[in-house]
Amino acid sequence: MKFSFFHLMPYPYLPDDFDERYASSALTYPNANFSPELGSALYARYLDELEYADKLGFDGVAVNEHHQSAYGLMPSPNLMAAALTRRTSRARIMVLGNAIGIRGNPLRVAEEVAMLDLMSGGRVDSGFVRGIGWEYFAHSVNPVKSRSRFNEAHDLIIKAWTSPEMFSWYGENYEYRYVNLWPRPVQRPHPPIYIPGAGSTETMRFCAERKYTYMSVYAPTRIVRRWFDGYRDAAAELGYQPDPERIAFSVPIYVADTDEKAHAEARPAIEWLYRKGLKQTPEMVTPPGYMSPGSLRGVLASGMRPLGGFSYDDLLAQGQAVVGSPASVAERLGTLYAELGGFGQLIGLFAIGTSTHEQVMRSAELFATEVMPVLRPLGVMTASPQATA
Amino acid sequence: MADVVPAEEFVELAGGRVHLLRGGAGEPVLFLHAAGGAGVWHPFHQLLAEAGFTVLAPDHPGFGKSDDFPAVEGIDDLVYHYLDVLDALGLGRPHVVGGSFGGWIAAELAVHSPHRVGSLTLLSAAGLRIPEHPVTDLFLLPQDKLVVMLFHDPPPAPPPPPPGAKPDLDAIIAAYREATSLARFCWVPFLSDPKLERRLGRIAAPTLVVAPADDRLIPVEHARRYAARIPGADYAEVPDCGHAMYVERPAEFASIVVRHLSEHSLSAHPRTAESGASR
Repeated sequence: MKFSFFHLMPYPYLPDDFDERYASSALTYPNANFSPELGSALYARYLDELEYADKLGFDGVAVNEHHQSAYGLMPSPNLMAAALTRRTSRARIMVLGNAIGIRGNPLRVAEEVAMLDLMSGGRVDSGFVRGIGWEYFAHSVNPVKSRSRFNEAHDLIIKAWTSPEMFSWYGENYEYRYVNLWPRPVQRPHPPIYIPGAGSTETMRFCAERKYTYMSVYAPTRIVRRWFDGYRDAAAELGYQPDPERIAFSVPIYVADTDEKAHAEARPAIEWLYRKGLKQTPEMVTPPGYMSPGSLRGVLASGMRPLGGFSYDDLLAQGQAVVGSPASVAERLGTLYAELGGFGQLIGLFAIGTSTHEQVMRSAELFATEVMPVLRPLGVMTASPQATA
Repeated sequence: MADVVPAEEFVELAGGRVHLLRGGAGEPVLFLHAAGGAGVWHPFHQLLAEAGFTVLAPDHPGFGKSDDFPAVEGIDDLVYHYLDVLDALGLGRPHVVGGSFGGWIAAELAVHSPHRVGSLTLLSAAGLRIPEHPVTDLFLLPQDKLVVMLFHDPPPAPPPPPPGAKPDLDAIIAAYREATSLARFCWVPFLSDPKLERRLGRIAAPTLVVAPADDRLIPVEHARRYAARIPGADYAEVPDCGHAMYVERPAEFASIVVRHLSEHSLSAHPRTAESGASR
């Protein structure tokens, strides 16, 4: 099992009347509520936490991209990754990911990730995401084009990293007469790719065909199980059994010395994450064209409910947060491992909502010293005739 | 004429099938629907038909029962699409009436091919970019707020569904498909063609611009700007009416539109030979 410390970099200082006054913490939540002084201190604190995770022995430190939101303060994940290249030494630097569906110029993404790869000595993992619904409002990109832009940007970036010669690109969304990347990445053929999945069978197949890491987003265990099985089935149809490391389970995790202390401290932070940080209107979640009518039908028929509608206890029971003493967390993650049919990477969200710096540091430390050793043997490829297929 | 019953037709084009409602007898009126209301024969259509016109109301690409026409990606493609529709229907120079989103298409059609439009009627048309009077972002409006926004006097909210009632998935998917089609055409630039305003001088058809006085979706300044830029355009406002227009006040809208169509009969125009439904 590989473990990474994922940071959303939330802006936790929401006003007391947030719930009544605002439809969301994103898009239309006024930035008059943002304090640059507090924000500056948060960046310093959050980078310290990621750097500490590297020292603790996490295999990866992860950042992501969000726009116009208190949910996550990283419009540019590559800037944060660049800072981490100089202040970490062993952990993979995971950009999960660049939102290539909404970027105007995907070649710029290829350039920046190549730079990060060189700066980090080949430690970069490159996630690609479509960008979430509200970001198509926020950056004025047509959500109907989301998948087309994502696919084309991906193809262009991979080709730009790997092509042995200069080429031209004429696509539905982008045109470049000269693609001639300087610098090229140091990892060959290119940095490992991570793609989050949320039920789309096209995405499962896309990842399985390319042996990319397929990672889950917040959802109940029974639904994540369906996604992971979909990825495994897609690989089976292609004639191979995926390395468990290509399947990454992502979940908020909070560890304290005792169960009692852990729940007392985690409850407000988890509730902040799901009820305030992720508070959105249906129009923001699925702008027109962001999903195909078939995918939308699947989501509606599966009975998925808005995340904010679940209680703290529901979220724990559904595997959407893991909280407790080191022993309890290890046991619970072992159970989820079995319920999900296995996975080889655990991407833990350790800095949750309103949790304090001291809480996050202690939680990460307990996890690294007492939970990781228990789970480490899980999710490793066993030698089998199929494995070499 | 009170017994007009609309007929349902499909027009075959290279890119797919267009669903169309046809009713009445007389000079042809191509009616281009708003973002809502595809495939519905409204009382407004009935009143136009009863006044002695052939009303032809197609569903836009990706709306109602028309096919998606994925190659139709923007307003320029919609203009060519409707030129194809006119050709397929054998309409040389019909009256063209458009509401809201459909009004934008009508204006662009009349700019592109002035000789194909016998008369033009724009009912609170979208299409202009007026930054100081922005159009409400209907993509971000919750459904209940949208209804309130559309009417001067909103109808009572429907009763909440009984507990445990299953949502009508087909209706939700159909609405999402139409919103997706609309977004395909006009997410950005938002419901407008920044170049349209400076091209409006090309319009040759006698034009009537109508605005509901209490339009909370497309500010009335848009209609006034259309009227100011289209040569010789007439302008009318309908009081106590919201953007739902001919849904909220069908009789008033029909009466204003019928007067315009009658005053600018296609046969009174020198280019009579090209006009009318040839089938």
